[in-house]
Amino acid sequence: MAIVTVDGLCKRYAGAPAPAVHDVTFTVADREFMVLLGPSGCGKSTVLRMIAGLEPITAGTVSIDGKVVNQVPAKARDIAMVFQSYALYPHMTVYDNLAFGLRRRAIGKAEVARRVQAAAVKLELTELLQRKPHALSGGQRQRVAVGRAIVRDPKVFLFDEPLSNLDAALRVSTRNELIRQQREIGTTSIYVTHDQVEAMTMGDRICIMNQGKVVQIGRPLEVYRSPADTFVSRFLGNPPMNLLPGRLEQRNDGIVAHLAGGTFALPMRAASVLARYAGGEVIVGVRPEDLYEALPARDPGQSAPHFARLPVRVSGVEPLGAETLLMVSLDGSDAEMIARIGRDTTLRRGDRVELALDTAAVHLFDPATTRAIA
Amino acid sequence: MANSLPMRSGFAQLRRAPLVLFVAVYTVVTGGPLLWVAMMSLRTTAEIFKNPYGFPAPAHWEKFVDAWTKSNYATYFWNSTIVVLIAVALVTAVGAMVAHCLARYSFRGNRLVRFAILTGLVLPPQLVILALFQILLDLNLYNTLTGLILVYVATHIAMTVYVLEGFFAQIPQDLFDAARMDGYSDFEIFWRVTVPIGAPAIFTTVTLNFIVLWNEFLFAVVLLTDDNKRTLPLGIMHFTGSHQLDVGMAATGLMIAMLPVIVVYAFFSDTMIKGMTAGAVR
Repeated sequence: MAIVTVDGLCKRYAGAPAPAVHDVTFTVADREFMVLLGPSGCGKSTVLRMIAGLEPITAGTVSIDGKVVNQVPAKARDIAMVFQSYALYPHMTVYDNLAFGLRRRAIGKAEVARRVQAAAVKLELTELLQRKPHALSGGQRQRVAVGRAIVRDPKVFLFDEPLSNLDAALRVSTRNELIRQQREIGTTSIYVTHDQVEAMTMGDRICIMNQGKVVQIGRPLEVYRSPADTFVSRFLGNPPMNLLPGRLEQRNDGIVAHLAGGTFALPMRAASVLARYAGGEVIVGVRPEDLYEALPARDPGQSAPHFARLPVRVSGVEPLGAETLLMVSLDGSDAEMIARIGRDTTLRRGDRVELALDTAAVHLFDPATTRAIA
Repeated sequence: MANSLPMRSGFAQLRRAPLVLFVAVYTVVTGGPLLWVAMMSLRTTAEIFKNPYGFPAPAHWEKFVDAWTKSNYATYFWNSTIVVLIAVALVTAVGAMVAHCLARYSFRGNRLVRFAILTGLVLPPQLVILALFQILLDLNLYNTLTGLILVYVATHIAMTVYVLEGFFAQIPQDLFDAARMDGYSDFEIFWRVTVPIGAPAIFTTVTLNFIVLWNEFLFAVVLLTDDNKRTLPLGIMHFTGSHQLDVGMAATGLMIAMLPVIVVYAFFSDTMIKGMTAGAVR
């Protein structure tokens, strides 16, 4: 049982013009799997290292179960960490690597052996216990690194990009394995990654960071569906969200959005919020999967979805097998968009076509602050 | 295809010829004098003066016994062993700890300490010898083995730190962080992580320091005066002093002095080369 609270955490390195981490606040609930997601250099690893006690804290607090641990040394925080490089001791066997952390903690020899064996069975390392790290594959090393954290039976697990050194296929299977282990053991976990797929599939919640600050915290689909700003909208989703310059206008029947290619009504929006932007510029965000080559078939009785038609010119076609990515430019502008459409398309470069846009799924952002509007 | 193969290997051999020639010349240049001294060590001085390049016929093996028993060689050998073993142990222990600190911790003055140590690498020993002489006199350590040991440690710490720090710095920081989270203290991390992983580099410095100190002459000749405190290089000089010139015994002494170096090198050369060329981990 452990609740990790990070409150107003700041990190400033001597001589650096800007803080590496600025006013980061979040709480990780007991047994929760929290993912810190962001591009390299956004400060997510620094946050993790401050929680671990490996990095001095400039300002703010880290608490575990309500107790501030800023002054508690790393070894006394009862936290285990899996490093990106795995950090296996090259001169020790797998067994000794697993036992290294236990031997320091006045745990009896028999108990050390029991715990190491249990972890080895769980992670299928039994056959490898007498090997040295250099004689292991990447996936095996990764499992030893996880095993070293598990045997300690700590309050909190920290993961610093533990899958980034694995090849793509192994990454998928290891990802699932890690989730399974965490659910089974139920230890509170904080996981740092720059890979949005890992974040979406593994996290109970995602904390997205950019330039040392927290941008948004939420459940994966929640964050995907309602990005707090243009950074999150582009960072989550592959291909990323299309962002286009547009304008809002008040009409008798409600607010409409003008885009280079056309004008469409914005259904299901709080008119009062949008009214503030009426007559002004906005950024219109469209996910590639909300553009259709043809209007999607509707179930009878389903309420009529709102679709607008956008005339575009196809500037590129990328068939990916399961789907096709369409690079298009809006008529009358240089604005480029990517649409994710069915694999059976016959469209070719240079074709002119009207794409259907699901206007209920359109995102609007303030061009000055880049924050989402309503 | 089949008959082009021998031609290719013929070419390859031809291309290797300069290398083989170089190695052959190098072997003669370095091995020649060694062989010459080895032959002289089994001949008497009179024989050598008659024919400097002659073969040892008959071979005077008893000269080794004489050198050991009649001319204080056992004492010189013992002094050298004591001084070199203690100095190498100290310089390795202190040097490894300093290198670990410089490679691992960023503290105020880190760069200054590094600069000061590296300065020690470029200072010629002749420059400090007068100062050392005076300091040892003041400390009542002049003409003592302890004094010589301290001087050896001081003069060889720079090279040791330089070699070890370069190696230790390559050990990934994650290993140290992991050990810290596992609950190990700074010294335990040095002892259980840095030392075992850095063993090839440590062996390298041990071997190099042993060879260099075993042959060290300048400091020993200035800082030791008593005959029964002399180290081997000084003992050999004894045979070629201003009043006598016993080339034969000097050669025998040289062979005795060389033996430990050859043994050490034979045992550690592999580890040493590995240590100088390999990376820290992987």
